[in-house]
Parts: sequence; structure tokens; C-alpha cells
Amino acid sequence: MENASGNAVKMDQCIDRIFREVLENISSDNLMNSQTRNCLKMCPFSLLMMKIEKIVRIRVVPQFWSKFNNSINKDSKEGFQDFTDSVDELYENSKKFISVIDRLKESISCVHQNCEFKSDQLIKHVRHYIQGTILSQIPLQHTIIIEQFYKTAFNVFCNIEALQQPCDFPTNNELIICEGCKQEKKNCRCQVIVNIFHKTNEKLIDLGLLERLSGSVLTSLIHIRIKNYVFSVSCNSFNQSQIGNLEHWLDTVVMNWLVRIYTGGSSKMAGLPDKFRNAISTFKQKLSYFLYETYTRVRIQQLFNIILIFPDSQPALDDLRVCLKKNDLRKYLISNLQFNVKTRLLHPGVSTPDILTTYISAIKALRQLDPTCTLLEIITDPVKLYLRGREDTVRCVVSGLLNESNANNLANEIMRNKPINQDLSSSNDTAQKDSNNSTQTKKENWENWQPDLIDSENEFDLKPDLKSDLKSSLFGIYSKITPCKAEPNSAVISKNENSDLISMLVNVYGSQDLFVNEYRSLLADRLLSQLDFQTEKEYRQLQLLKERFGEQQLLSCEVMIKDLCDSQNINNNIHNDQTYMSHFKAFDTSALILSAQFWPPFKEDWKLELPAVVQQQLQKYVLAFESFKANRSICWKTHIGNVNLEIETQDRKLTLNVSPIHATIIIHFQDKNEWSLDQLSEVMHVPTTVLRRKIGYWVSQSLLIETSNDVFVLVDKLDPDNSKQFTDLTQNILEDDEDIDSAMASVSDQREEELQIFWSYIVGMLTNLDSMPLERIHQMLKMFASQGTGAVECSLAELRQFLDNKVKDHQLLYSSGLYKLPKS
Amino acid sequence: MAQNVNPFFPSHGAQGKSREETPSLPKDNHAVSKRLQKELMYLMMHADKGISAFPDGENLFKWVGTITGPQDTVYTDLSYKLSLEFPQSYPYSAPVVRFMTPCFHPNVDNAGNICLDILKDKWSALYDVRTILLSIQSLLGEPNNDSPLNPHAADLWQDQVKYKEYLLDEYRKAQDKAQDS
Repeated sequence: MENASGNAVKMDQCIDRIFREVLENISSDNLMNSQTRNCLKMCPFSLLMMKIEKIVRIRVVPQFWSKFNNSINKDSKEGFQDFTDSVDELYENSKKFISVIDRLKESISCVHQNCEFKSDQLIKHVRHYIQGTILSQIPLQHTIIIEQFYKTAFNVFCNIEALQQPCDFPTNNELIICEGCKQEKKNCRCQVIVNIFHKTNEKLIDLGLLERLSGSVLTSLIHIRIKNYVFSVSCNSFNQSQIGNLEHWLDTVVMNWLVRIYTGGSSKMAGLPDKFRNAISTFKQKLSYFLYETYTRVRIQQLFNIILIFPDSQPALDDLRVCLKKNDLRKYLISNLQFNVKTRLLHPGVSTPDILTTYISAIKALRQLDPTCTLLEIITDPVKLYLRGREDTVRCVVSGLLNESNANNLANEIMRNKPINQDLSSSNDTAQKDSNNSTQTKKENWENWQPDLIDSENEFDLKPDLKSDLKSSLFGIYSKITPCKAEPNSAVISKNENSDLISMLVNVYGSQDLFVNEYRSLLADRLLSQLDFQTEKEYRQLQLLKERFGEQQLLSCEVMIKDLCDSQNINNNIHNDQTYMSHFKAFDTSALILSAQFWPPFKEDWKLELPAVVQQQLQKYVLAFESFKANRSICWKTHIGNVNLEIETQDRKLTLNVSPIHATIIIHFQDKNEWSLDQLSEVMHVPTTVLRRKIGYWVSQSLLIETSNDVFVLVDKLDPDNSKQFTDLTQNILEDDEDIDSAMASVSDQREEELQIFWSYIVGMLTNLDSMPLERIHQMLKMFASQGTGAVECSLAELRQFLDNKVKDHQLLYSSGLYKLPKS
Repeated sequence: MAQNVNPFFPSHGAQGKSREETPSLPKDNHAVSKRLQKELMYLMMHADKGISAFPDGENLFKWVGTITGPQDTVYTDLSYKLSLEFPQSYPYSAPVVRFMTPCFHPNVDNAGNICLDILKDKWSALYDVRTILLSIQSLLGEPNNDSPLNPHAADLWQDQVKYKEYLLDEYRKAQDKAQDS
């Protein structure tokens, strides 16, 4: 401070000296005669100006900047003080110059006709010169102090703002440190800072330096503030629209602050000159844009999460839609979301149902964001591609369709959405129809046609003659951006069947056949697993699916359901049959009679040999059936079914419902107490590995016990110690019984079987033609093996994989590009 | 013999009767292809042991067959390649069947021609590739020594041990030759 005042004294002396010098100059001129007076070489004001300019250049401005230079290590408090001092000093100096000019004006007036310094312009000139010089000598790190100054003030303001709002955290009041000025509460300097701040700003405005000097710092500070606020507001809460809130915040808090800076304390804009008012309003526009951009970016970064919890995040999504219209962050959105989808969704760690759920949410959400669905296609194309690669996609979709309790609500979807084409029988028809539709609509309103990619048509207010040109160029962009559209089919569908989620899912594969097949397998499982012949629900679902996929495709499914009803009738009839009933009956039998042709193939790797008693009984049933339905017979699928068992041991009585293989195992133990796994396997015609797994059930029921390796013994009487444990066990076991195997061959298994047909052809050709390359085998298969009805197609890649598997199994040899059979 | 007459082929008698009536030869050999295709499928699906055949390249009318000698004969474990050429009139006329692997056998000549009645005058449209191959396979073990194409083999047949020695020698020679080329 001493230094500063010292400087001030020096400046005073300095200016006094100038004044004297100038006066002396003038008086010396005065001494000259009147003739020379006319040719006075120097105007006194320009003389003064030269002197002032020199002082400003050499002294005032370097002094002003000197504090800014070594400011790196200063804390914010010092910075604040420095800036204030510097500005004060500059302001004082400029005042002095003005007073000198005034004094000079009083003592003399310029008689020079063409004086370039008209007395009223002098002050302005001095100001301009100071401004110019300051800016010309701007040092490198000048922003540090300015930033510290405004930051400190800003902090105080924010704190005052926060204190005005109802406080949720009572602990705040107990803090010793004031949040605003970082001082102890009792020494709080907030008010002082605010006063100094306003004064300094006023001085800067007066000097005309406010915007030049602190504009960028101010802007960046406000930007940081906006960013922080947006982050804090939109952090992980998607269930509230924030646009209104943010706008309000900008209008009140930020603008208030801005206005205060310009007005020097009062928060009213009314008294401001137009110049400042314009400055503030343009500033506000910029800030508003920045606010929206920041908010949009935040929401875009959150978009993946927004999609994940979609229906709950509706407000956030609405916000984003509004924001996207205000700026051009679409590309950012696309790349960001694509990246997120790729890294967070499309990797092996995510289960298929989860991917599907997200996919469905994404469809719903993105459709809201962009009704034209262009965005949707770009984003979901990779998902579709990925889903195509997953084996269990179809199964998941179909089970999602059928399972009402499923999280992704597909079942409700199929109930709700009426299909667009009621009578479509194949996907080709749909496409055909759709394209017809679209051409029709095109014809109708081709004049109103708008390119897809642009959201708001109003953005382009085009002159009619320009229209076509611009459109075609826009169309060019459009076609450039989405060239990777997988099949024209999907594009058509997504546009015309906007609301139809199911179609979009089905079109993941581009064909309905796979879905229908998978549905058939699932339906078969469901029908076989129920015992009460209740088909109402299945029938309802089938009707719904029929509306979507067409009658033809689901014909066999209908037969399957009908089989169940017929079986019930047949069972009733047979049970009423006197001859059947009159025989000795070992147990009640009822059968499900399936029309083999219409059911999907069964998975049956081994044929379970039932115990003799059971076989006799089943034989009786067959006889009864044959007499009931002439010319028909039945062939038992022994591995599917349900057996009600009553087991009585010395101390226990169990009633259980188990599968035939379980029942067969335990029945064998009825005759013989001890079986080895091998023996049992031989009797039952079941592989030992399977048998061991199934025996586990009885062991867990404490009915069997493994006495030595692979030897099982019936437990007739439990140890009293174990009995308690036993009851506990049953509880658990019955729940997680065992992996519920599907009785149906899965689609991939069926495919395997189809490829097996090829295998015999391949063996045939390699036996006779020795060795062949892959392409030739493929060609030959296409020519000779893929003819006639039910022809199986096989891609080159699939064939290669198939052959490579055979090589792995040593059924083929592969060397130098040629496949051949191993020499037997 | 009636069944061996191709209804599409005008008999000589009919030709004489009406010359101006252009014989309705099938423009394409669709029916024949279909029959061969079917035979191939049958052959692939019901693989008999020791016989096999497959079209040689793109031409469905030219097949390569493989037979292995029947068990308990001197030909045991020897495998022979044959060529089968089907005429457009198949199955109303017999295919031309030849041994591609040189075969030392009383009824097979040095060029691989086979003397087998069902391939000549006893041919019937009921025969197919499978039966032809099975017949040739059994012919290996049971030659007809009354009308030999290869008298040397027929003479030697009496002494099975010597015959086998000679046969294996010839077979090995043929194999080596095939490998050299």
C-alpha cells in the first residue's frame, strides 16, 4: 500500500510538472510578437496530449500491468486486492489527466483554427489512448488476477443466493467459515467484497474497459457456473423436466449478477443506457445457447441410461427432444449413443433378454426423440446385427411374447397392437403391400415431401425455385449417412409400421419362419408340461399370433393344440371302455396323443426302456386305442411324461410327481436293493452320465444312497438324526428340482440334423472323388443335395464350420485346401 | 423286353411306318435327371456297405462309383473305382460301366470293360445304380468262367492262393501307377 501511495505521489508531481512545462511553453510563445502568434507551431492541447500519452505509455500502463505479471503464486484474496488496487490506481490517474485538461482549458483556449483536439473531445481521446495502450501492453498471464477477482465475487454472490433460498441443511448455519469469502464468520467480508466489486466494475465501465478486460474471464466463469449447475441439476434424475428450471435459473441468478456488474450494484435494468442493455441481452442469448448446449450434452451422455429406464425417464427425454431442436448436436448424440451401445450393451457379458429389453426401450425412446425413425435405424442397426448373432434371440423374443409376467412387456404389446395387415401370409406380402402403400402416399403428397434427416422443416424457409435443388442435395446427404441399411424391407417397415414393435423384433432376422419355428418348439414344451389339458390360454395366444403371422404359418401349432383336446376325448373314451377297464390295471394311464407330422422333432438321444409292468399297461392302452380308432396306432415317447408315485418305505410315505426316467429308476430299486450304475444303465438303455444326474434326485430325497463308487442302495429306514435334515432337504430340492430340459429339439439341434443329411452326401462324394476343396463341395451340394421340397440351404461359411467340426472329430482330413476322408 | 423300350424313343418299326411324324424326343432330359437325382438321394441315405457312387463334376450323367471287394473272397479289402455313363434314354437302356482301377478278373478285360449280363441283354429299367454296383461287387467273388474276357484270370481262378498272390501284385502295381501319375 505504501508503494501504491508513493506511486500516487510521484504521479501527482509528474502531472504537475507536465502542466508547468506546457504552461511555460505557451507563455514563451506568448512572448513572441503577434505575427508569430498566428503561426504558433504547437497547439497547447496537442502538446499536453503528447506529454500525457508519453506518461501513459511509459508509466501508467506498465504500472497497471505490473501487478498482473507476478500473480502466479498469489492466492485469491491477494489477487482480488491487487486487481482492485490496479483498477483504482488507473482510475485515479485517468481522473488526474482529466483534471489537468480541465485546468488547462480554464487558463487558455486554443486559438488554432484547425486544432484537432476540440476541447470536448480531449477527454475522450485520453480515454481511448489509455484503453488502447492497456490492451497493447497486455501481459501473458493477465487473466489470473482477473479470474481471482471475479471468482471471489462470484462465490460471494452464489453464497448470498444460496442463503436466500430455504436451507435444507441446518448444519450450514453452524459452519464457522463463511462459504462466500472463506473467512471466519465473525470476520465475514462478504459485504465489503460486494461493495468493492461494484465500485471496481463501475470504474472499469467508466474507463470503458469492462468488456475488453474482463469479458472473456467473465464468460468462462459463467460457463463454468452453468456447467456445474446443469450437472448438479440433471445428475441422475430423469423423472423431472429441467428446462423450465434452468431457464428460470438463468433469468434470475445469472442475469441478476450480470446486470449488477453493469449497473454497479442495483439489480434494475431500467436505468441503464441502451448500449448496456443491448450488451446484456446479447450476452444473455449467448448464455442461453450455452446453457442449452451444456444441458443437451449432459442428457446425451446420459441417454443410454435414460433409455434403460425409459418410461420413467420420459421428462428427460422430452427435454432432450426440445433441446435438440435448438442446437445441432445430433451427430454428437449418434456417435455418443452408438459408442455407449457398443461398449455397454453389445458384449458377451449382457444376457440376451437384457439386450432385448434395452432394444425395445430404445425403439420406444428414440421414436419419441425422432418421429422419422432415421435416428432409430442408425442406432439400432448394430443391435439388430448383434442380436442376429446370438443363438437364443429367437427363443427369448418368443418367450417374451408369450410370458405375460415378463419384464419387457412384449406380451402386452402383442395384445395391444393390432397388426397393420390382418391377412398377411408372408413377409413378402407385407413388403409388397407396404411398398404399394408408400408409393401411394408418395403420389398423394409429393409436393409436401420433406427429406428425412431434418427434424423441423421450419428451419428451411426456402424459395420455391431453390427448393428442388436443396432437397436433392439434402437427399444426397441422407443417402450418404444411411447407406448401410441392411435390407430395404426393414426401412419400409420402420417407416410405415412405426408403432409396431413386434414387427421390428421379428425383423431382426428378416424372416418370420424362424420365429414361427421357435414358437412351435416353445408351444410344444408348454403343452407337454401341463397335465390338465387346459389350452385356453395357448389358444388365445395362437389367435393373436395368427393375426400377425398369418394362418398358414401357424397351421401346425393349431393342430398341436387340437391334439391336446383330442387326447382328452380319447382318454375319456378309453377310460369308459369296458374291456380296457375290466382288465387288471396296474395304474391309471392317460396319454397325450400327438400327430407326429405337425409337432417339432423330439430330442431323443436314447430310448428309455420302461419297466415291464409299465410296458404291459401301456400295451393295454395301445390295444384299447387301436380298437377305438381303427387303422391307427400309437408309438410311445417314453422319455416325456409325468408319473405320480407313491413310495412307501419302512418309515416314510412319499407322494411325488416325477418324470418317467426318475420313476423307472426307483421302480428298479423295488425289485433289487442295490444297483450299480452300469447295470442300471444296461437295463434302462440310458447312458450312465444321464443316469447319474437323474439318480441325484433320489439321493437328495434320501431314498438312495451311494455306498461305494457308482453303486446305489435303497434307504429303507432313515436314521433318526437324518430325518429332520431330510424334511429340510425336500423343501429345497423340490424347488430347484433340476434343470428343466426342453423335450423339443432346439432350432439349432434341428439345423444340426439337417446338416447331417449333407454329411452323407459329402461322404458319398469324397469316397468317389477322393479330395475336394470347400467351394467345390458347396457347389456339388447345391447341385445334387438341395433339390426337391424341403430343400435345405447351407451357406459357404456354415459349411466350412460344419466341415471343420468334422475335421476336429477326425471324420475328415484337411490338407492344403482339400478335404478328404481318412483311410479306414 | 417291353419294359426296356423307351417310350420316347421311336422303335424301328414305328419309324418305318411314319417317317414324317417327327419323333417326340424329350427336349430336355428332365425326367432322366430327376430319376438320377432320386437314385443319388437313395444311395446317400441308405448307404450300403462297400458300394458308393457320386456324380463326377457337374454332369449328372457321368458318375464315379467305388466298390470294395466282398468279404471272404480274394478281393477282400481291395477297392475299385468305376465309371458309370448314363445314356439319355436311361433307365430304358443300361449305363456303360467300366473299371477305372485296373482289375484282374475273369470277366473284366484290360480296358476295364465288364462282361455282365444285366449290363447287356438282361438289362431292365427296374435296375438302378445300387443294384448295378451290388451285382458287380458280387461278380468279383463269383466270376463266370464260362465266357472269360481275361482267360489268364479264368485259368488261374482254380488256384485261389496263386490267384490272390497275382491279384494283389497287379493291384499294387496299379496303385503305384496311379500314385505316380
